[in-house]
Amino acid sequence: MFLLLPFDSLIVNLLGISLTVLFTLLLVFIIVPAIFGVSFGIRKLYMKTLLKIFAWATLRMERGAKEKNHQLYKPYTNGIIAKDSTSLEEEIKEIRRSGSSKALDNTPEFELSDIFYFCRKGMETIMDDEVTKRFSAEELESWNLLSRTNYNFQYISLRLTILWGLGVLIRYCFLLPLRIALAFTGISLLVVGTTVVGYLPNGRFKEFLSKHVHLMCYRICVRALTAIITYHDRKNRPRNGGICVANHTSPIDVIILASDGYYAMVGQVHGGLMGVIQRAMVKSCPHVWFERSEVKDRHLVAKRLTEHVQDKSKLPILIFPEGTCINNTSVMMFKKGSFEIGATVYPVAIKYDPQFGDAFWNSSKYGMVTYLLRMMTSWAIVCSVWYLPPMTREKDEDAVQFANRVKSAIARQGGLVDLLWDGGLKREKVKDTFKEEQQKLYSKMIVGNHEDRSRS
Amino acid sequence: MRVFFPFLSLLSVSSEQIEQLHRRFKQLSGDQPTIRKENFNNVPDLELNPIRSKIIRAFFDNRNLRKGPSGLADEIDFEDFLTIMSYFRPIDTTLGEEQVELSRKEKLRFLFHMYDSDSDGRITLEEYRNVVEELLSGNPHIEKESARSIADGAMMEAASVCVGQMEPDQVYEGITFEDFLKIWQGIDIETKMHVRFLNMETIALCH
Repeated sequence: MFLLLPFDSLIVNLLGISLTVLFTLLLVFIIVPAIFGVSFGIRKLYMKTLLKIFAWATLRMERGAKEKNHQLYKPYTNGIIAKDSTSLEEEIKEIRRSGSSKALDNTPEFELSDIFYFCRKGMETIMDDEVTKRFSAEELESWNLLSRTNYNFQYISLRLTILWGLGVLIRYCFLLPLRIALAFTGISLLVVGTTVVGYLPNGRFKEFLSKHVHLMCYRICVRALTAIITYHDRKNRPRNGGICVANHTSPIDVIILASDGYYAMVGQVHGGLMGVIQRAMVKSCPHVWFERSEVKDRHLVAKRLTEHVQDKSKLPILIFPEGTCINNTSVMMFKKGSFEIGATVYPVAIKYDPQFGDAFWNSSKYGMVTYLLRMMTSWAIVCSVWYLPPMTREKDEDAVQFANRVKSAIARQGGLVDLLWDGGLKREKVKDTFKEEQQKLYSKMIVGNHEDRSRS
Repeated sequence: MRVFFPFLSLLSVSSEQIEQLHRRFKQLSGDQPTIRKENFNNVPDLELNPIRSKIIRAFFDNRNLRKGPSGLADEIDFEDFLTIMSYFRPIDTTLGEEQVELSRKEKLRFLFHMYDSDSDGRITLEEYRNVVEELLSGNPHIEKESARSIADGAMMEAASVCVGQMEPDQVYEGITFEDFLKIWQGIDIETKMHVRFLNMETIALCH
């Protein structure tokens, strides 16, 4: 046993030294820049290197596939069937017109043929519908060395497999512990910092410190995810007394926006770690947290938000009106609650680049912890944030129309598809009012003809 | 995917399109090997369709699945799914008149089964009324009476085409499949009863 002692102490010493070096590097290259909001450009360099490697990998895969006459997987972009854009009226008129070429005295009000249109439309939606597609992760056009994004991964070449293996090693053994350490640092600094600031007397100094503590911790979290964010039009950033709305892809959206601006968060009170963070944050500046029971009461929610917004000294509220995470290829219907309050709305569009890691949170497939692990073992999160000019509700607009206007602006800027469907459809069923629209149109046509005939 | 090669000729689609349909099948079934009626609830766009229940029923109808003269299956697998899809393939006019006529008949038979819910081979007045009511359901301004009279009027029209002038006490039992075909003679249904696949090209770009 005594023979091992000097060897043991050597190991311990080495471990100690490497940990110290690691933490110093961490401090110098990551935490200090986060505090001051500057950047060394390390992440951008990392991104460029990765892009070159991906390009090489895709080239190899193409070459390999051509040699073996395999089919490479194709993008699932706009659906697999060609849908006719003729409306209900046009098609039924056409069918009936071709029917009256027979020797019939009068065309009947209702024909067996009317069922054609609905039958075909039904088949088309079963084969390929807009809404369900939005809820599964976007498929990529090139391969980013993550096996989770490649359905057809086949053995193409030794070099590619080695590269992939190396990638796994780097991501899980080097990047993951680093990121977890950073995340841990960021969150604990947030909790400690905001609690400390909470003890100060109210005043400009407290606000100044609170702002910087929040920003610093969010920036550390951004680096914990290796998020490379490009902000556009920063002059349009939200101001006090306004509401900031953005499209929602994942819980990371909050970190991305909050690391560039100082917002008041809105949300439900959680238990556990989230609850601790929430309670600490609210000590240093007023966020709006609702109890679970209060969330159902729409009037109470609206009242509290209105109060917050009318107080000009309070921060702009950050809200995601879609209500759930969408896979970042489209924007779904915005819930009208936040648009009824009457404050200035600052729209923000967030678009993720799926090449480096898929940021979409499919909450029915993955829990929060699994999702965060997936995020932390991706290469990076690359996204663009556009701050759009502020909008206010016009006199003759109601809340729903205003919400749709804001939604179109966000969709246009972010290059996302503007959908009329409700994000809540991920879990619920279609509202009856939508169903009736189509049936009313059809029956109007039939009864309309019926009335014309009885009149003549 | 080798299992699905026989269906390539049935559907006149490529193997990639079959793969995509397979993925769609898996999406609908929630990664299970079979689909049940409840799985169609996950297609929101389908809710807008007034004859939704008839369309879903058509998927499980044993006559369409070629499994028997009547009744409904509890669940369908991917082969059955493709069988139903095959009723909607575009008619290949290069195949010759007989084949074209056969395809037409198949499509019309699919529609006939949709009307004839009790599988007795005739569309009775009740069944016809049922279809009209479904198509017009949900509109508060149309009463059941008007829907009925519309159905009755249309049925009389069909009867006059099929049987000619009827005696006052003659009862028209229902539209048989031959009568059904007679109504559709000369009318072009080819473009109305098919779903076209998009032409997907190989795209694998790198930046």
